[in-house]
Amino acid sequence: MSAPPGITELAAAAAKLAIPHIDYLSVLPIMVMLGGAVVILGWSSLLRRPMDSGWVTSLTVLTASATLILSLFQWGAVLAHGAHTHIDGAIVQDGFSAFVSVLVSCIVLVSAVIADSWLRREGVDGPEFQVLLLLSAAGAMTMGVANDLIVVFLGLELLSIPLYVLAALNARRAESGEAALKYFVLGGFSSAIFVYGIALVYGATGTTDLPQIADYLARNVLLHDGLLLAGLALLLVGFGFKVAAVPFHLWAPDVYQGSPTPATGFMAAVAKVGGFAALLRVFVSSFHLLQNDWRPPVWVLACITLVFGAVVALWQRDVKRMLAYSSINHAGFVLLGLQAASNRGVAASLYYLFVYSFMVIGTFGVVSVVGGRGDRRHSLEAYRGLGARQPWLAGALTILLLAQAGVPFTTGFVAKLEVISAAVHAGSTDLAVVAMVSAAVAAFFYLRVAVLMYAPSGAGSEHALDGLGIDPAGATGSSGPSMPAEAPVLVARGEAGSVGVPATVVSPAPGAVDETIPAGVAFGVGLCVAVTVVFGIWPETLTSFAQHATLLLRP
Amino acid sequence: MGEYLPILVLIVLGLLFAGLSFAASALLGPRRRPTSAKVAPYECGIVPDVEPPQRFPVRFYLVAMIFIIFDIEIVFLYPWAVIFRQLQTFGLVEVLVFAVVVFVTFLYLVSNGALDWGPAKRLERADTKRTTSSTVSRVPGGPPGEPSSGHEAA
Repeated sequence: MSAPPGITELAAAAAKLAIPHIDYLSVLPIMVMLGGAVVILGWSSLLRRPMDSGWVTSLTVLTASATLILSLFQWGAVLAHGAHTHIDGAIVQDGFSAFVSVLVSCIVLVSAVIADSWLRREGVDGPEFQVLLLLSAAGAMTMGVANDLIVVFLGLELLSIPLYVLAALNARRAESGEAALKYFVLGGFSSAIFVYGIALVYGATGTTDLPQIADYLARNVLLHDGLLLAGLALLLVGFGFKVAAVPFHLWAPDVYQGSPTPATGFMAAVAKVGGFAALLRVFVSSFHLLQNDWRPPVWVLACITLVFGAVVALWQRDVKRMLAYSSINHAGFVLLGLQAASNRGVAASLYYLFVYSFMVIGTFGVVSVVGGRGDRRHSLEAYRGLGARQPWLAGALTILLLAQAGVPFTTGFVAKLEVISAAVHAGSTDLAVVAMVSAAVAAFFYLRVAVLMYAPSGAGSEHALDGLGIDPAGATGSSGPSMPAEAPVLVARGEAGSVGVPATVVSPAPGAVDETIPAGVAFGVGLCVAVTVVFGIWPETLTSFAQHATLLLRP
Repeated sequence: MGEYLPILVLIVLGLLFAGLSFAASALLGPRRRPTSAKVAPYECGIVPDVEPPQRFPVRFYLVAMIFIIFDIEIVFLYPWAVIFRQLQTFGLVEVLVFAVVVFVTFLYLVSNGALDWGPAKRLERADTKRTTSSTVSRVPGGPPGEPSSGHEAA
C-alpha cells in the first residue's frame, strides 16, 4: 500500500519539524486560569457529594488572584523590557495584552464573589458555574495576547463556548435554555463567518500572523484588493456579533434577559473585553494601512450602535433587557475609540472597557439581588421604593447607573470624555456629536430607574408608572427618538419571545421578597462602586495605566 | 486547474452515491404506501388514543458525551502518534497534559452519574423548595407538573 503523495510530503515536513521555543512564562496567566478550572472540576468530581459552593468560590478567587498578580508581573516586565512576541510569534506580550489580562482577572474575581450567593439561592449545586467562568476568562485572555488570527479564533471559541453553557445554567427556567440556544446558534454562525474572514485574509496576504500581515501590506500594493476587503468585512461582522454591535446585536437582549443574572453580568463584561481586545489589535495594528477602507464602515457601525442602543432602551420595561440595550450603547462608545484608529483611541477604548466592566458587573449584581428567588422580579416596578427598603442596595445601583450615564465624578464620565476626545482628535467630530446626543438620551432611562427607586412605594400597580410621567409614551415624546418605526417592532418581538414561557411567573407584592444583601454581593458590588467612584474622582492612575497599554505594533 | 480535479471527482462521486442510494431504495424497497395505521407506534394491538411520550432517558445523552470525549482524544492522539519521534519529550508531555484534562472531564461525567445505570442505589433527599411552578416542564401534550409515564425506564 503506497501512501498518496500528499502524505509523504507531510511526513517529510514533519521530519524536519522545528518545535518553537515555548516561553511558558508568557502564557502563565492563561495556564493558571485553565489549571484552576481543571483542578476545581477534578477535585469536586472526586468528592462524594457536591463541593460546597463557598469552597468553589474560594478556589476561583484564589485562581483569579494568582492570575491577577502574574498579569501585574507581566505588566512590570513589559514596562522594564519592552514588548515581545513568544512561541513563534503566536503570542504577544505587550502593554495591551497585560492590561487585558489584568482586567479579565478582575472580572473573574468580582463575578465569582457576586455569583456565590446566587448559586446558593437558586440551589445550583456543583462547580460548573465557576469552572465555566474561569474557562471563558482564559479565552478572553487568549484573545488579548493573540498575535495570529488562528490564535484569535482559538480564544474566541474558548471565550464563547463556556458562555453558551453559562446562559443555560439555570436549567429550571425555560428562558435560560432559550437564551442559551439563541446564543449558541447565533454565536456558532458568527464564528463561522469569522473563520471565513480569516481564510480570505490568508488567501489575500498569505499569512495569518498579525505583524506579517501588516508587513505584507506595507511592502505590497494590491491592485485587486477585493479578496482582502471581503475578508476584513467578514472579520468585522464576526467581531461585531461578539461585542453586540448593531446590526449584529439581535441575540443580546434575549440572551441577557434569559441568562442567570450573575452570568449576564460576567458575559456582558468578558465577551466585550475579549472581543474588543482582538478587534482593536487586528484592525488598528495589522490593517492600519487599510484604515481608509475600514474606518467608514466602523463609523456607520458605531453611529447606529450608539443611537439604536440608547433609543430602544427607552421602551424597555424589563431591567435586564434595558441593561442589554445599554450595553449595546456602550459598545458604540468603544467603537468610537476603534474608529479613531490611533494610539489615543486604543487607550480610550481600553479605559472604557475597564470602567464598563466594573459598572456592568456591579449593576447586574444588584439586579440579581432584587430579582429574588427564581430570578423573576426584573420589571421596572420591582424597583419602586427600593430606596426605602434597601437604602444601601439602592444607593449602589444609583451610583452605578449614574456612572453608566456618564455623570461627572464617576469613571463613566472620564471614559466617555476620553473616547469622544479621541474621536474628535481623529477628525470624527460628527460621530462625537452623535455619541454625546446618545449619552444624553441614555441618561434618561438610567435616571428613570434611579427615580423609581426613590419614589414612594405602595401603589404597586402597573399604572403607577404613568403617574410619574415616565411611561414609555412620555419617553418618546420628550427625547425625540430617531427611529420611531423600528423600536416598537423590536419591543413586540421581544414580547413574542417570551410567549412560550409557562404562565407561572407570578409577581409577588413588593416587599414580600427577601432582598437582604448577601455578604458576597455586598463585597463585590461595593468593590465595583469603589472603583467607579475612586477612579472617577482621581482618574489619572487608571488613564495613565491605559495610555501605557500600547500595542506592539503601534499605528 | 489540475489541482482542483480531485475535488471535482469527489463532488461527482458524492452526487453519484446519493443518486444511486435513492434509486436503489426506490427499486429494492417494499412498495407499500404508508397509512396512518401502519406508521402508528405499536402498543400491543391497541389503537393508541394518546400520543406516546417522545422523551427518552437523558442518560443516553451522557453516554454520547463520553463517546465524544474519547473520540476527540483519539482525533488528537492519532496525528501525535504519527510524528511522535519528531516531537520528542515535548510532545509526550503535552499529550500527557491533554490526556489528564480529558480524563478530568471523564471523572466529572462519572461523578455526575453517567455510568450509574439501573435502579437508584440510594434515595436522594427531595428539594423541598422545588414546586411545580419553579420546575420547568413543558411536555408537549401534557399539563405541566403531571408526571410523565414513559421516561421512567431508566
